[in-house]
Amino acid sequence: MGEHDAGRYQRQIPLLGVEGQERLRRARVLVAGVGGLGTVVAACLAAAGVGALRLVDNDKVELSNLNRQLLFIPDDIGRDKAAAAMEKLQLLNPEIRVEGINRTIDDKTVDDLVKDIDLIVDALDNFTTRFILNKVAFSRRLPLIHGAVRGFFGQAATLIPGRTGCLKCLFAKSPPGEIFPILGSTCGVIGAIQATETVKVLTDIGEPLANRLFLWDGQSGEGDIIITKRNPQCVICGGD
Amino acid sequence: MKITIRAFADYREFIGKEMQLDLPEEKTIGELLAGLGESYPNLRREMFAPTGELKEFINIFINGRNIAFLKDMATPLADGDIIALFPPVAGG
Repeated sequence: MGEHDAGRYQRQIPLLGVEGQERLRRARVLVAGVGGLGTVVAACLAAAGVGALRLVDNDKVELSNLNRQLLFIPDDIGRDKAAAAMEKLQLLNPEIRVEGINRTIDDKTVDDLVKDIDLIVDALDNFTTRFILNKVAFSRRLPLIHGAVRGFFGQAATLIPGRTGCLKCLFAKSPPGEIFPILGSTCGVIGAIQATETVKVLTDIGEPLANRLFLWDGQSGEGDIIITKRNPQCVICGGD
Repeated sequence: MKITIRAFADYREFIGKEMQLDLPEEKTIGELLAGLGESYPNLRREMFAPTGELKEFINIFINGRNIAFLKDMATPLADGDIIALFPPVAGG
């Protein structure tokens, strides 16, 4: 780590240690979805010095994204989200490697997308794809940082193969897709929590949201924890 | 038997953050929720379809387990159970 790096991270090295910072630098994180959650998580992780970020989204930037997708500006409208985000993150932190991949995450593409990845961030907007990501995370034994938002509400959980249940232990079905109402700051809260969880898992510092579901109620300004248990009969991770 | 219901997000508006109930007899989660619907019409409107069925995708956990992986609405309640009710949140 050069002097330049040390300067950039000098305010977090007292928290993470030089070893922790090095772990971030060596880490390769997949951010699945580059929208309200994904742009926030990716920006936090880029700023924190995660050495390699792989951003995946199949969509283009739209005007209505700009109330919350903080890496995009009006000139980005019509551009691929993955490319536009990659460009901004690289400007934010030239020291790290950022890949922007315009691709739909499905059963056919997911295996390649998680190649050489150490941790997956779920910044998706539907459970069908979340379950695909969950399945590959648990078969490859990769930590999966779950997040979801709607309106003033959000939720987050850290799923660690071998230590916790998986997403399918918690949620049974995929709600139908919808154009969901959402405030940017809700994405800010949950995205930042997901980034914090990512840093904690990569550096082994603090206590991750393991076997816990964090529920955020922005309307009342309250955060709550539900203690969760794995499903011993889970089709994905049961018997793990 | 004593059970605790913790409500989150919109559901808090209708039944408050947490309630403790002392049930005189054995009940399933379905029976409990139907009873709550009787006592709290706003909750009933929010959680139940006009047909009387619980709306799909509402999250109902008992002691940290989604009832979909227990016996669903037929899951029997036991003394000390903690029920969590929270709305589906899926955006990103």
